[in-house]
Amino acid sequence: MIFSDPEIWAATLSMAVPLALPAIGGTFSERTGVVNIAMEGIMLIGAFFAVAFSYWTGSAWLGLLAALICGGLTAAALAWGAIRVSADQTVLGMGINIFAAGLTTFLLNTLFGFNGTPISTPKLPNISIPGLDNIPYIGVIFQNQSILVYIMIVLVIVSHWFLFHTRLGLRMRSVGEHPLAADTLGINVWRIRYFGVILSGLFSALGGAYLSIGVLNGFTANMTNGRGYIALAAMIFGKWTPLGSFGAALIFGFSTALGIVLQGQGISSNLLQMIPYALTILALAGLVGRAVAPAADGIPYDPRRS
Amino acid sequence: MKQRFLTVAASMLALTALVTGCGTGAASNQSTTTGSNGTNGTTTSNSSGTTTAGKTIKIGLVTDTGGLNDNGFNHLAYVGMTNAQHQLNGVSTSVVQSQSESDYVPNLSHFAQNGYNLVIAVGYLMEDAVKQVAKEYPKTDFLIIDDNITGIPNVASAIFQSEQAGYLAGVVAGLVQKNHELKGLNTKNVVGVIGGQDIPPVDTYIAGFQQGFKKEDPNGKVLLQYTNSFSDEALGSQYAQNEISQGADIIFPVAGGCGIGAINAANSAKVYAIGVDTNQAYLAPKSVITSATKGVDTAVFDTIKAVQSGTFKGGVSTFNLANNGVGIAPLMKGLPQSVQTTVNQVKQQIISGQIKVSTTVQK
Repeated sequence: MIFSDPEIWAATLSMAVPLALPAIGGTFSERTGVVNIAMEGIMLIGAFFAVAFSYWTGSAWLGLLAALICGGLTAAALAWGAIRVSADQTVLGMGINIFAAGLTTFLLNTLFGFNGTPISTPKLPNISIPGLDNIPYIGVIFQNQSILVYIMIVLVIVSHWFLFHTRLGLRMRSVGEHPLAADTLGINVWRIRYFGVILSGLFSALGGAYLSIGVLNGFTANMTNGRGYIALAAMIFGKWTPLGSFGAALIFGFSTALGIVLQGQGISSNLLQMIPYALTILALAGLVGRAVAPAADGIPYDPRRS
Repeated sequence: MKQRFLTVAASMLALTALVTGCGTGAASNQSTTTGSNGTNGTTTSNSSGTTTAGKTIKIGLVTDTGGLNDNGFNHLAYVGMTNAQHQLNGVSTSVVQSQSESDYVPNLSHFAQNGYNLVIAVGYLMEDAVKQVAKEYPKTDFLIIDDNITGIPNVASAIFQSEQAGYLAGVVAGLVQKNHELKGLNTKNVVGVIGGQDIPPVDTYIAGFQQGFKKEDPNGKVLLQYTNSFSDEALGSQYAQNEISQGADIIFPVAGGCGIGAINAANSAKVYAIGVDTNQAYLAPKSVITSATKGVDTAVFDTIKAVQSGTFKGGVSTFNLANNGVGIAPLMKGLPQSVQTTVNQVKQQIISGQIKVSTTVQK
């Protein structure tokens, strides 16, 4: 029985990371009222600079740091356009996606040439947690996973607690639901929104870095392969909550893993390949109940005018 | 909300189309449109006749979605074209990378429209696009890699009998597994093949590999999976990890950029891999035993030369072991000489027709 094989769950977990992280990032941004569809682009930026700095400095951790900085800066640009200039957030996000795809491919070919990034690029370590290792079935799933898998699990829990059980989290949500009310209560709407969007950039960049220096140790053009968009679906599927996003990412990850494992069993690979997308459509068609976005999502707020 | 997602999806599609549309123009502007030897297409006398066939020609290369960074056949086509640019006088070149399959027709037309003499389409997946565009621009010559288009006079096709290269790679894998020639191999004698898509240029390699492997190690097992992607490295890595967990300790990916991820995973797991299209040993010197290669660069170079000298002919040219159009890269150091000897023998047997390699994959 394939479902009893821990390998499929290990693959599920590992394929869920690059979806869950940007999905949670998107949740933070949209909860404060800024539509963020730039996860794909920010992931690419994160993935590229993670590899570049990992190679130049010889340390994957510094690469990860550079990815976070670059992802944060890109998100800051998005935030500035969306908040300060009140630009259309969908167009802005799409612009960043296209810009990032072009920029990273250009830099890859200019700095490293067509043979790709050097194979000596260090990657983040894979670890097994002592103790967890010895639990019979679970141990195999967590055996030798990238350290970012564990970081992601911690981040999921912390994010959920942060968004729903802290003061700042409450403020973020209030700004996304009714910015005017929040403003009259003395909350700086713009500052909270900047915070939310930049936070989403950090999470997306982390997701990108997972692909380039967590799973692999190199960058290829467009290596995110649309995962930022699937993350968008995971965010909606998860009803704009970190735990929900993680759950949705697990389902999408599972369908990819299923596609891999079922192939030996005489089922057409083309059919299996459809599963994640079919699930997305079902999710959007209301399979999981109504998905309600934060009320002020996508609507710019100008404190000077109200 | 759902509506918003639809709007987003729709605008995404529209923008993608827009960008790729612009991409053709932009890419060709920034790409290498330099004439060789610095004598850029200025109207200096080209009737000097002192250089060998110094006719000025423009060559356009359209990659498939794998792009120039695929460490594989797109890259090889580019290498062949660059060689021509450097070695032949008066060849200027330009590249456009296709972002999606819907780019093929506009990208090919772009070059034809702008008076390019030869347009090179890299890949079987461009067959329909080439047929369509070649009929619209009968004065432009086309070369398609990995496909056999017949009956259109301005289309030349390069077909590679990559099953022969795959067979040799399979022989190496079989010998290594049967005799445990490399350290760290398990006793299960399993090899894992990862195909990008269930299409002839991929399957010919795989079919040959299966037969070659079974010939040397009849009790060994070949796993076969398709990723349905030529670009998703992380996915390739995941497929490889899955096969490795089933006991495979030689991975043979035939999946372009996606396969690079598979080699990466093999390297991380300290098992072995066999490269494809070009000698991929540089990707993981400790893992890559050998590579099944095909001379896309040679085919491109020869065709450019023919266009320049006016001897271009439509129709299919076949590249195989006999004319060195396909082959196998040097074996990893540390393998016994007997492996190389067997490979050489088998190669001769294929050339002489003693061994016939089928192109049908065993599933």
